[in-house]
Amino acid sequence: MAARAVSAPSHEFVVTADRLTRNYSVRLGLFRGDATLRAVDGVSFALRAGRTLAVVGESGSGKSTLARVVTLIEPPTSGTLTLMGENPFVAAGEARRALRRAVQMVFQDPYGSLNPRRKVGAILEEPLIINTGFSAAERRERALAMLAAVGLRSEHYDRYPHMFSGGQRQRIAIGRALMLNPRLVVADEPVSALDISIQAQVLNLMMDLQERFNLAYLFISHDLSVVRHIADEVMVMYLGRPVEHGDKQRVFATPRHPYTMALLAATPQVDPEGRAKPQILKGELPSPLNPPPGCAFHSRCPYADSRCAAEAPAARTVDGRAVACHHAERIAAQALV
Amino acid sequence: MKMALLEVLNLSVEFATNNGVVRAVEGVDLSIEEGEVVGIVGESGSGKSVSSLAVMGLVAANGRVSADRLSFAGHDLLALSHRERRHITGRDVAMIFQEPMTSLNPCFTVGFQIIEGLRTHLGGSRAELRRRAVELLDQVGIPDAETRLSAFPHQLSGGMNQRVMIAMAIACNPKLLIADEPTTALDVTIQRQILELLIDLQRRRGMALVLITHNMGVVAETAHRVVVMYAGQVVEQRPAAELFRRPRHPYTAALLEALPERSIGRRRLAAIPGVVPGLDDRPDGCLFHPRCAYAVDACRGDRPPLVRDATGYTRCISPLEAT
Repeated sequence: MAARAVSAPSHEFVVTADRLTRNYSVRLGLFRGDATLRAVDGVSFALRAGRTLAVVGESGSGKSTLARVVTLIEPPTSGTLTLMGENPFVAAGEARRALRRAVQMVFQDPYGSLNPRRKVGAILEEPLIINTGFSAAERRERALAMLAAVGLRSEHYDRYPHMFSGGQRQRIAIGRALMLNPRLVVADEPVSALDISIQAQVLNLMMDLQERFNLAYLFISHDLSVVRHIADEVMVMYLGRPVEHGDKQRVFATPRHPYTMALLAATPQVDPEGRAKPQILKGELPSPLNPPPGCAFHSRCPYADSRCAAEAPAARTVDGRAVACHHAERIAAQALV
Repeated sequence: MKMALLEVLNLSVEFATNNGVVRAVEGVDLSIEEGEVVGIVGESGSGKSVSSLAVMGLVAANGRVSADRLSFAGHDLLALSHRERRHITGRDVAMIFQEPMTSLNPCFTVGFQIIEGLRTHLGGSRAELRRRAVELLDQVGIPDAETRLSAFPHQLSGGMNQRVMIAMAIACNPKLLIADEPTTALDVTIQRQILELLIDLQRRRGMALVLITHNMGVVAETAHRVVVMYAGQVVEQRPAAELFRRPRHPYTAALLEALPERSIGRRRLAAIPGVVPGLDDRPDGCLFHPRCAYAVDACRGDRPPLVRDATGYTRCISPLEAT
């Protein structure tokens, strides 16, 4: 494929995040002043090439805001993002442009993310026109190669997006994201708009492309069964904060945060035999504008006590993964019984 | 056998479009018994929503509904006038939809919208209607029901609005509740709450519940019987436990295989090749044959009939072994 946008990596991680925080100022009304919404609050992770970190959470958990920061759409309010060993918000000129090229995004809705008035070929070539000096013939050659790589045919080059099904459009969107040979692809709910049989095709494609191009994926999803399949590590978020983060096998086999346990129990399964009766979480997601004091989850948590209402738990290592819960050890001990 | 509450025989729905007539639903047979929970599953374009809209008499003006039989609790719905039919389906059959935010009218309070249905079908004094509305909100687990009556839909969350929709649906004590993707727009933990609520109401009231969804897990956990639809036709139907353990139609089997949870430990998912046929490019013969791993020449001839077996029905000339 085309020349790498960034020269051979000398650094261990494609992307690292150190206590990333992103706040928004929200106007409450004419006379009520502004409030601060902590959309992302203290997120840290490090991701190697060829690996997938899945970010899981419900609405308002901050997973899409995290995607916006990692794709350099918005700067973090505090904390540090490092891409290939460099801080993209400090880098300038060509270095900064190279880092931007190295991170690409795939969106949820393939009907909204492709321009209906442009042919597939033009959609795929646009990143090359903006970022490279390739001739028209070179661009066409690369676009055709990408069509083949994402499982489409060369005659699709001259067609418009409306002539494709949802799954095929998502293939085009993935192809567009890969045109500049990125190192990291941020995929925000890439298969949740697709039918089951098509979802499986697109997930297989994403895994094949990851292997072929040694891509790092930041995979954002609310669907735990999809995450279980594609991820290497999982970060569960609740109201902007990571509550549990670790190796996929560990988190799914022995969840240690009560919210992770509740999410796993709430997911409907085809083979429910041998599964504990799901505990139903009471209440709704609190407003991120006015999160509960202490642990943000305590208002819905079956294990909560007075300490949880007063003191926000810091992340600590329990059973080989990071958990932000005062009672993680107790929950671990109970789970053994 | 109990008497069927809803009986549908050979239901077809056609739409006149600019490119000619297309068939969204083709020869669907369906019977729902009292107090039964039936899941209808299928991917987009399978006709699962259009079939239920046809039962409710809600198909858009360019649609033509035909059926050999369409009866509810002994009433022949096809013979009734629009007015009479509305009287029955408005009270005894209720429906809830996927998007609670767009199903409710944003200009009126939820109290007004609940009372509107009550007044039309049951009547009563204002105070009585109001008391009944509070009762209903209570039953669907809305805290502080009295004050919530004067809330507008935008002041409530998605989960709360879906509870309001359910309250409106059960307001007239329906015998049949059709829920079309009731939890698809909701978060996982809220989805669980709404499913538990629906099943609880179904048990306590003994009403029949039809759950239309693309989520196989939701159906597996709630339905007694499952109907699988593909491209406008019913392709398989049998008791839920049986269907998920031993699917006999190749499409059902492939759909279950494609679920990530059935591929734990394997790198690749068992995807179904190709795409669901659109309304205007349905193949001859078996609708699934272009994507089917078992297709033979005979599958390309005529549409296979729905054939009865020991536990249900399959529309396939050589169903998978029931081992």
